[in-house]
Amino acid sequence: MSKKMTIFDIPEEEAVWPGNPACQGCTGSIVGRLVYKALGRNSVRVEVASCAPGFMNIRVPSFYAPAFEGAGAFLTGLARGYKLINREDVTIAGLIGDGGTVDIGFQGLSAAAERNENIFWFTYDNEAYMNTGGQRSSATPRQARTTTTPISQVNRGKVEEKKNVPFIIALHRVPYVSTASVAYPEDLIAKTQYGKKLKGFKYMHIHSPCPTGWGVNPKDAIKVSRLSVESGLWPLYEILDGRQFRLTFKPKKLKPVSEALKLQGRFRHLSEKEIADIQERTEQNWNKLLALDGGEIC
Amino acid sequence: MKSEVMVGNKAVAYAAKLARVNLISAYPITPQTTIVQYLSEFVASNDLDAEFVNVEGEITAQLACMAGSIAGARAFTATSGPGLLYMHHALFGTARYRCPVVMAVANRGVRTMGPDHTDLMAQRDTGWIQMYCENNQEVIDTGIMAYRIGEDERVRLPVAYGLDGYVLSYTAEPVMIPDQGEVDEFLPPFKSLYPVLPEDFDKEIEDYKRHWGEGRSIDEHFTPYPADENYSHLTMVKWGAGHDLQWRWRAHQEALTRAKQVIKEIDEEYGRRFGRSYGGLVDEYRCDDAEVVLVAMGTIASTARVAIDNMCKEGKSIGLVKLKTIRPFPAEEFQRIGRGVKAIGVLDRNISLGEGGVAYNSIRSAMYGLEERPLVCGFHIGLAGNEVRVKNIERIGNKTLKAASTMKCEPPVTWV
Repeated sequence: MSKKMTIFDIPEEEAVWPGNPACQGCTGSIVGRLVYKALGRNSVRVEVASCAPGFMNIRVPSFYAPAFEGAGAFLTGLARGYKLINREDVTIAGLIGDGGTVDIGFQGLSAAAERNENIFWFTYDNEAYMNTGGQRSSATPRQARTTTTPISQVNRGKVEEKKNVPFIIALHRVPYVSTASVAYPEDLIAKTQYGKKLKGFKYMHIHSPCPTGWGVNPKDAIKVSRLSVESGLWPLYEILDGRQFRLTFKPKKLKPVSEALKLQGRFRHLSEKEIADIQERTEQNWNKLLALDGGEIC
Repeated sequence: MKSEVMVGNKAVAYAAKLARVNLISAYPITPQTTIVQYLSEFVASNDLDAEFVNVEGEITAQLACMAGSIAGARAFTATSGPGLLYMHHALFGTARYRCPVVMAVANRGVRTMGPDHTDLMAQRDTGWIQMYCENNQEVIDTGIMAYRIGEDERVRLPVAYGLDGYVLSYTAEPVMIPDQGEVDEFLPPFKSLYPVLPEDFDKEIEDYKRHWGEGRSIDEHFTPYPADENYSHLTMVKWGAGHDLQWRWRAHQEALTRAKQVIKEIDEEYGRRFGRSYGGLVDEYRCDDAEVVLVAMGTIASTARVAIDNMCKEGKSIGLVKLKTIRPFPAEEFQRIGRGVKAIGVLDRNISLGEGGVAYNSIRSAMYGLEERPLVCGFHIGLAGNEVRVKNIERIGNKTLKAASTMKCEPPVTWV
């Protein structure tokens, strides 16, 4: 399991060039910076259709998989190809959005996980199709407003629950699955460096607020992510060998979810009752995870 | 060189093995399935040292080959009919990244199971080289040549070769298997042109920036084929415009055009080394001084040879042009042939709905540049796996001869 890290343990060398044309407050670009800081420059990057190919200035060989659904297979091909040229030391990593992971790319992701390909998949999850203007994805949380789940008298945002992809991937029994948040860079880097050393399929699901799409003040993007973790909306954990579960952040007492929700325009329509409902579900989920902590998922 | 009686799918597998492919990724579909099984057996028995990726669908099969080829693998895949349609999206990428992946297609109808060229013909705009085979010997030889053609420095493009489903894929014929040593001499190991090593990244990017900074162009030698969109912010190319620059399309078109000469050269060299060649782009049979010629592809060409022999025996002046390579389209070859004949009858086992037979329309278009044009008569035959008999082709031959003597082809297109 990953070791606890402090801010002083974060590598100094940057793998990104300064400056990028992302939106103000974009946490996706921070994810890219942190992930490649942790992986180091002896790695390659794969992206599919998402915001990332437009703004990422990462100094490693970079490939744009020319099919949205193809990240899993493209990463697979690279991993096998680098093996054939005797360069298994190079980390084959993908920086994929939530659409490319949980929806259109899901079949290829599941297949690559099932084959236990030697790759590291990073999902920067901004909980909707932000590159095309914020349409719902199956990673969008319940009741969030998106451009395809608008709020009206009869519509209260997305009806369905967020798809729990980290657990689904864990049930493929892969060596390493974790969640992370841009607000916790030490945790993210520690998990990345731990996963990098393992052979086989590694997966990290990263909370990555999109100020533009979520209606968040750009200066509050990190705050929203931090409050989401502190309130139990986004638990940080890791799952080893698809079984052993461990929470990597356990506050003594959860903050109320309203603190995180009220900063987000996409939840502005929520009534007190609806917020109380989310609070209750979040606590139930948190208690389930607490019960699992240190044990096996199933 | 030894010989063995084998089905077309086994010939495909042998070709891949002899070419020493080291990355195979494919998804089973009738009538291609046994290709994957034969290759699995080769890998399992250590006769072939290759990475075998059992993917979950055809798009991913193609993408795994594409990415593997970028890194330096000699990649192979095979599919058929609906599987090929599912792969369509990824085919553009493989060609765009100039990855010399080779793919065998057991041609199958897109609406039925029978043999039909519409599946591969529907991919003709994806930027791949496309070849068709008429017997299992040609399958194994084309499968080996395909890598030499695709990996040639003047080309660097993926190659698809078709074998008619069932008629070849599941039918056994005697096949001469080339010696591994001779194939190794013919086909040197593959090396990717991509900058894939992380330690070279800074140098590569400087070269790339310098190239554009100095205002150099596509016509000047320029080593790698970087994925522009990833470097566009460095080279100050606008993201939208830099995403897929028009010059990339031009470079691709020029490479496909150069491939015409390369295919002919490599086919001749194969003939010198192994004693068998297939004309490269087109194969002409009894065309000398023929008044009319028929054009056919795949196994129909094989049936047509018998019909042509019968008709020549009757004293009729008719020859056969087998259209082996349809992308790049051998327009110049057809112009040369067109100058010497009065009529051309084109047999299409494919259809571009709303226009008609693909070969028919392309050949007619090529004739437009001639001052004196022959008549071009179109025939739809064998679609959806309809059986094609010698007598059908004789009837087509007679109709074309009649068109030549009356200088009229009525109707211009016939459903046989």
